Amino acid sequence: MKVFKKFMVPVLALVLLTGSAFTFIAAQEWQIAEGYSIGFSSNDAGGIFKDFKGNIVFDEQNPAASRFDVTIEVASINTGNGLQNKHAKSEEWFDAAKFPQIRYVSQKIVKAGSGYQSTGDLEVHGVKKAMTIPFTFQKTAKGGIFTGTFNVNRNDFHIGKPGGEVGEVIKIDVSVPVTKK
Amino acid sequence: MLKRSLALGIVSGLLAGIVSLAYAKIYHSSLGADFSTVAGMTSILAGSVFGGLLAAFGYWLLTKWLRQKGEIVFNLLFVILSFASVLAPFAVKLPLTLEAPELFPGMVVPMHFFPALAWLTLKPLFFPSPDLSGNSVNKVF
Repeated sequence: MKVFKKFMVPVLALVLLTGSAFTFIAAQEWQIAEGYSIGFSSNDAGGIFKDFKGNIVFDEQNPAASRFDVTIEVASINTGNGLQNKHAKSEEWFDAAKFPQIRYVSQKIVKAGSGYQSTGDLEVHGVKKAMTIPFTFQKTAKGGIFTGTFNVNRNDFHIGKPGGEVGEVIKIDVSVPVTKK
Repeated sequence: MLKRSLALGIVSGLLAGIVSLAYAKIYHSSLGADFSTVAGMTSILAGSVFGGLLAAFGYWLLTKWLRQKGEIVFNLLFVILSFASVLAPFAVKLPLTLEAPELFPGMVVPMHFFPALAWLTLKPLFFPSPDLSGNSVNKVF
């Protein structure tokens, strides 16, 4: 019994300490809820992407342990006009048949002012580029909501031809309600 | 003349509206596309009657101005304008909440021809043929 106490007490203490440490580090996982909006706009065209999914791990107190890995289905684009939708999915623009998804994977999330900044890789049209996205997180009764606005230059991803009627800088507006997993 | 034109315009517009509503219902039930928020019952009926009234004024003006050739010019213009108007549904930007905007022209384009079809169908009732009414025949050529 003495031997048991001698070894087991430190072992149990170590297990508890290690466990509590992991509990502290592990950030909250969130599930994307209905009502999200992934919008884009330029001087000529604008619309939304209807299909959005992914894994969101985020802790307000510990942004360093947070991570986003989200994808958008290119074919779900809706500009409100059938001909524009077809055009946007064509080879000249998003080439939805060859590059069916837009993906963003965060590498680092830090607190920035009243919000946060996520630095990661944005992959569109087969081109991967580092992208910093500012966002805010607001707690709600059911969970929370991420919102962010940032610009993307479509030429960086070889989408469409440079110039033309559609502006080169596209404004992206993101609003994603989440619930705790 | 103007009264009869207006009566024909209103009646043919109403007929076109009723046919359009029936077509919209068939379209919705067969394809599942619901555009009632942008092309509802009131707007379809109002648009059809407006088309009929526009045609009535056009017919009255042309037959007054060109006399014998007025009807031929009117018929040609009515059909050409109906054809030209089908470009609008292809260019329109619908609310982003609506699913499958590519199905919208398929529902609306046929409706653009219904006022002309209704007008041409009902015209003999409002303007009987000179042969049938016993009046003198107005020869165009």
